[in-house]
Amino acid sequence: MSSIPNNPLTPEQEEVLRDSLKRCSPETLEAAIAFRNQGDISKAPTVIIGIIERFCEPDVRPRLKEPGADDLRVMDDLGIDSLTMVDIVMMVEESLEITIDNEDLAGLRTIAEIKTFVACKLTGEAIPEPAKNIDSMEIPDIMPHADPFLFVQQAAIRGDEITGSYKISGEEAFLKGHFKDNPVFPASIMLEALGQLAVLYLLASDDKSLAGKVDASKILFTACDGVRCSRVCKPGDTLSMSVTAKKIRHPGAAFTGKITVDSEKAVFAEEISLKFDYVEGTVSAAPDAPTAE
Amino acid sequence: MPRVAITGLGFVTSIGNDRTAVTDSLRELKHGIALSTNLTDKDPISVLGTLKGFDTTSMDVEDWTYPSDYKIRREHLRSMSPHVLYAHCALVQAIADSGLDEHEVSSRETGLFTASAGSPRGVHFNIERMNNLGVGRVSPMAVVSSVVGSLSFNLVASFKIMGASGGFASACASSGHALGYAFDEIALGRQQRMFVVGAEDGNREAILPFAGMRALSPSKDPAAASRPFDKNRNGFVGTGGGAVMVLENLDAAKARGAKIYAELLGWGQASDGYNVAISHPEGHGLAEAMTRAMNASKVNPEQVEYINAHATSTQIGDLSEIQALRKAFPEHRPFVSSTKALTGHGLSLASVMEAGFTAIGMHENFTPGSANITTLDPKTEGVNILTETHTSAPKIALKNSSGFGGANVTLVMRAMD
Repeated sequence: MSSIPNNPLTPEQEEVLRDSLKRCSPETLEAAIAFRNQGDISKAPTVIIGIIERFCEPDVRPRLKEPGADDLRVMDDLGIDSLTMVDIVMMVEESLEITIDNEDLAGLRTIAEIKTFVACKLTGEAIPEPAKNIDSMEIPDIMPHADPFLFVQQAAIRGDEITGSYKISGEEAFLKGHFKDNPVFPASIMLEALGQLAVLYLLASDDKSLAGKVDASKILFTACDGVRCSRVCKPGDTLSMSVTAKKIRHPGAAFTGKITVDSEKAVFAEEISLKFDYVEGTVSAAPDAPTAE
Repeated sequence: MPRVAITGLGFVTSIGNDRTAVTDSLRELKHGIALSTNLTDKDPISVLGTLKGFDTTSMDVEDWTYPSDYKIRREHLRSMSPHVLYAHCALVQAIADSGLDEHEVSSRETGLFTASAGSPRGVHFNIERMNNLGVGRVSPMAVVSSVVGSLSFNLVASFKIMGASGGFASACASSGHALGYAFDEIALGRQQRMFVVGAEDGNREAILPFAGMRALSPSKDPAAASRPFDKNRNGFVGTGGGAVMVLENLDAAKARGAKIYAELLGWGQASDGYNVAISHPEGHGLAEAMTRAMNASKVNPEQVEYINAHATSTQIGDLSEIQALRKAFPEHRPFVSSTKALTGHGLSLASVMEAGFTAIGMHENFTPGSANITTLDPKTEGVNILTETHTSAPKIALKNSSGFGGANVTLVMRAMD
């Protein structure tokens, strides 16, 4: 059991804690008391999830108990706005006796990121760099693709991973024929969407393996291996996509990718390969180095 | 110029939480005043116009109870103070009553004007928390749930209002101003329809400060405390709640076959220019407001059959209105009553609530009387105070409202044929 130095709660402090968590589940309160009395850091995630759950509308609460809940985006998937995030943070601060800065708060998007952030706060480990959100209005400007063939609406880069989403509107022209009177989002387009997210990574990340500015007009999808599709996706579904750079060495770039919908696996691609080139005159003198695997 | 119809009403008031209950109370002169558990033994007053079926005593909105017909998401509840909850429920009723659909409610053609003094209790709680614990421990909803304007912020967001919006702060004339300017929005062709909302917390924090100016009745008898125009009146009884009136372009209302309570013909306003809190003893401002309202509506004083008075049951205020009535109606004696005898005084809520009462009477064919008069004040001589419910409706009625600083508003309503 990892623990931090602590002073057991006084009866008054316990009373305050009970009052502040009175609308959370009993497990949340128990976990918070154990955390405060024994300094048991393993209880922190339970407290955090319990507090987030307390601020969710009843209809989305069950999603926090489902597999893959860690990937849920607090705002997009749970409908929590930035003001409610402040409520959540205040309650987490009070319960775990930590302080969270506004700047740190702004970078936290998923349940997993919040858990990691709080764990680092408690253990004193370095906090991973926050995800860099790409403004959804800018994506069409950055990308070589455009409507009706752009399948990335939101994206964020953290380290060597880019995450993004696309909501199937039902208005996509090809759904009229795929299939007749039964619109199903084609698996081939889902792979295309992952490829586009990889393209966005090459254009928007500051990956050290890139020796210059990548030319948007010189990126091509060349191969895709180890593909498994496991869920039918239909209008109304939001594709939650994630692509991770495996190896970038000019002119090749390899990624793994996956898509989930409501935390259910939809597509997995073991290797997505792109070819790219730099904008002339932007390549630095240093030779290309492969990304650490 | 477009004409303006009243096509929907909603009420959370001391005399009923829906139109049917309110109609019954008005017709039968049943009051909604009770000994209040909000008040303490040390307080110089004992009664308030109380709301039934709502409990907003806790500062924690999730402790509140309200009728289960209303389903309010936490997302909306979290930024409410009591008056916002009452108004939210009244607006749900008014929308259903008007028969407007979701797209008509949330449209560039639909606006919302509000009137409320905000939530003194909420402001106090938040400032005290800020001073004691630091601003970092103050709810992010502190401002938008408590300051004057909270009513507009919340309703515009919850009901997805996309036309004109804003609030009015002229104390007890506020929702009269809101109605008047909402009338203008439609008459000027800027909006097809307007929701006009008045609401007040009506709790100890909102009402008791008026005892500091000796304006409240110290009576312990709920049935007789509020008695406008009675010789022995001794101050007003405060109340909270929410009331909503739907105003609509008359042609548009007719085209969709809407139920029309009455037509809002026009309005007028004038100020006393006299005292910060006391109405002019000769009623100059209010007399001028009535005259202007009748002129704007192309109505002669002789055509007016009923006036729903502002009269709150204070010695000075009621007499000031009597003087104003004498001036505006030198040769004609319309019925006059104050429904505040039943409800108590709703402050910013009063005008739209009482305009709603008047519209109900016009639609249901009765004129509510002025209750609780055992000894009519002899100083009202020459004014035709209606002490019992009259079993027919006025063709033309006025609604008077007066606020601090001597702000006076009069609205003119006409019954539909």
